[in-house]
Amino acid sequence: MKVKLLSQLCIGALIAAAVCFSFIGSAAAQPLASHEAEPGIADETCLECHDVPGLTTTLPSGEEIYISVDRVMHTVSIHGRNGYACVQCHRDIDGYPHREIPVQTAREYTVYQNQSCAYCHPGAAEANRAGAHQIFREAGILEAAVCSDCHGSHNVDSLTPPRSNIPKTCERCHSEIFNEYKDSVHGAALIGEGNPDVPDCSTCHGNHDIKGPNSSDAFRLYSPLICAECHANEALMEKYDISTHVFDTYVSDFHGTTVTVFEKISPDQETNKPVCIDCHGVHNMKKHDDPESQVMKDNLLKTCQKCHPDASQNFPNSWLGHYEPSLDKYPLLYFVNLFYFIVIPVTIGGMILFVLLDAQHRIRKKISKNKSAEVKS
Amino acid sequence: MSTERAYKRFTISDRIEHWSEMLAFLTLGTTGLIQRYAKWPISLKIMEGLGGIDRVRLIHHSAAVLLMLAVIYHIGAAGYKYYVKRTPIKMLPNLRDVTNAWGWVLYNLGKRDRHPQEDRFTFGEKLEYWAFVWGTIVMGLTGFALWNPLATSRLLPGVVIPAAKLAHSLEAVLAVLAIIIWHFYNVHIKMLNKSMFTGKMSEEDMLHEHPLELADIKAGVHLPIPDPEGEKKRLRIFLPVYFVAAAVMLAGVYFFIAGENTALATVPPATDIEIFVPLTPTPFPTAAPTPTSAPILSVTWDGGVGELFNTKCGTCHNASAMLGGLDLTSYQSALTGGKSGPVVVPGDPDNSPVIIRQEAGNHPGQLSPEDIDILREWISTGALEK
Repeated sequence: MKVKLLSQLCIGALIAAAVCFSFIGSAAAQPLASHEAEPGIADETCLECHDVPGLTTTLPSGEEIYISVDRVMHTVSIHGRNGYACVQCHRDIDGYPHREIPVQTAREYTVYQNQSCAYCHPGAAEANRAGAHQIFREAGILEAAVCSDCHGSHNVDSLTPPRSNIPKTCERCHSEIFNEYKDSVHGAALIGEGNPDVPDCSTCHGNHDIKGPNSSDAFRLYSPLICAECHANEALMEKYDISTHVFDTYVSDFHGTTVTVFEKISPDQETNKPVCIDCHGVHNMKKHDDPESQVMKDNLLKTCQKCHPDASQNFPNSWLGHYEPSLDKYPLLYFVNLFYFIVIPVTIGGMILFVLLDAQHRIRKKISKNKSAEVKS
Repeated sequence: MSTERAYKRFTISDRIEHWSEMLAFLTLGTTGLIQRYAKWPISLKIMEGLGGIDRVRLIHHSAAVLLMLAVIYHIGAAGYKYYVKRTPIKMLPNLRDVTNAWGWVLYNLGKRDRHPQEDRFTFGEKLEYWAFVWGTIVMGLTGFALWNPLATSRLLPGVVIPAAKLAHSLEAVLAVLAIIIWHFYNVHIKMLNKSMFTGKMSEEDMLHEHPLELADIKAGVHLPIPDPEGEKKRLRIFLPVYFVAAAVMLAGVYFFIAGENTALATVPPATDIEIFVPLTPTPFPTAAPTPTSAPILSVTWDGGVGELFNTKCGTCHNASAMLGGLDLTSYQSALTGGKSGPVVVPGDPDNSPVIIRQEAGNHPGQLSPEDIDILREWISTGALEK
């Protein structure tokens, strides 16, 4: 008994450490619902058959799947460490022979089996409902990830460092996007240097309630706010000598103003005004001076022409490159501003003074007229 | 004072012009300023009410066209009045306007007993007129650059476009503030000047506002000497010239509106990358070759049936695992059966659970049809050991 207690303590400590090392806001931090009190069938009963290596079964589709369980793999998983029983996930097993399962293919079985996760992880399940994977799965695309595709099945575990494991997890299904990301300014920093300041996939797309432009019309419209979370953060940007005015200057420009208004009053609006990613690239965004960057001076015209096919050589210069106009940078705008900075107060101030003078004179005249009228009467 | 004389101040043409310009100005001001201050909650409310920012821009552009048409009309009306009719041009600014303005200041400060005597247009009215002319030119030029950025940047440096936007936006602030302070005070607050509604001004108001004009009217010298012959001649020159000029200006308006298609209506997708490209999945290893069953020598347990049970069923149904209480690895235990009774009924394969279960299919460790046939034969011949 004492030994058991001790081992439980050890496991507890291990889990605590794992939680400490796992990332802020990571997927692992979902509260567990009260789990089943009494697993009906002991794990050993299952393992009598399923412990045999190489055990397979053939599905109606003709696919063969393994039905062996690696006892050690499960024991070291987060479920194994916490002593969860087979039938807490395999909820339809109530004896042998097993009940018939309404699936034809291996993928259908995976999707079917993943329904169990919601019993203990209702928070994550609820979040998933709004997520792109579930939306597409319900639309009939069964390949869209289920819990076990990211978290593992018998080897399930909480997220473990390094953070580059996140893009590597997404890579399993989104390898082409991963290949672009890993060479981008963000991906190269995370995967190559282990830099903690750059976004991984989930920073922009979320985790369970995962979203992208294909699952939500609002995503493109809101995406500048995602970029702004880091790029308007002075403490973070200071380290890399990146201007935090990128967001403000975008918003005050014609494109950004439109997008911001749409965001606020018609969030599902599809707009032909660009957001950050339309110019800078999506997963492949590069530093602005990288020869491959879409916003690199030599490439800018081509980028503009994506939406303005008739744009000519001068046109890209109409974009101020996120700079605030100053005497050195864009003096024309500086002087226009200065002109009105003087003309508006002088004109309007003069008008106000003149109007006030006129008004006080008229009021005074009226009062004295009334007085003289009183005297007369 | 209903008997008091009133003097004609604005013709119906003047008044139509004024109301179109007012409609255009108010619309431009409202739909423009809410774009300048797009982040203000009130701006968003108005934009929502008008049907979104795209609609707001459409209204703004329509009002701009109305103003441009009013300007073309104004040029014609002024040309007719001053060239054909030879009406004296009283709107031109002169030194008297400066001295009058200063005179008003001194008068209002109580340093002068008499206020300046104004003619047909007070210095304030001239100020407003010429400010409107200036504003319309600035807004027209900068508005063109914003409406037609591609054409603009083909002729001028690109930086002209953001500069035009800045000027357009600041000039709007100046214009709207000036109208609110100057026009509203002078025409609506100081005195309610109804002449733009009625076209007339009372003698008393004329005396205060335009005493010099009143004097001219009374003296009968406010109009040029009638000259019907000269007028006809001048009209013959004026009409074709104006029609050509108007046609050119209208063509300009058309170019303003339809000169270029600045951008695509829909943005091409930011990326056209394939979304679902799974890494090559670990291939399912080819199943380990099952040892070829020992040839059935005779259909008895020892003749090969026992070996068949051992290799195909023994993984689960063995003496230690005893799944379902069943051990199929020895003759005796195979005939004894499991938890739910015997699985082999010698002589009656159709009622033997082992056959029933296997023929139902999908049993882990499913036998092939050939194997089942052997079992059937074994059972129907009495399920013998030897």
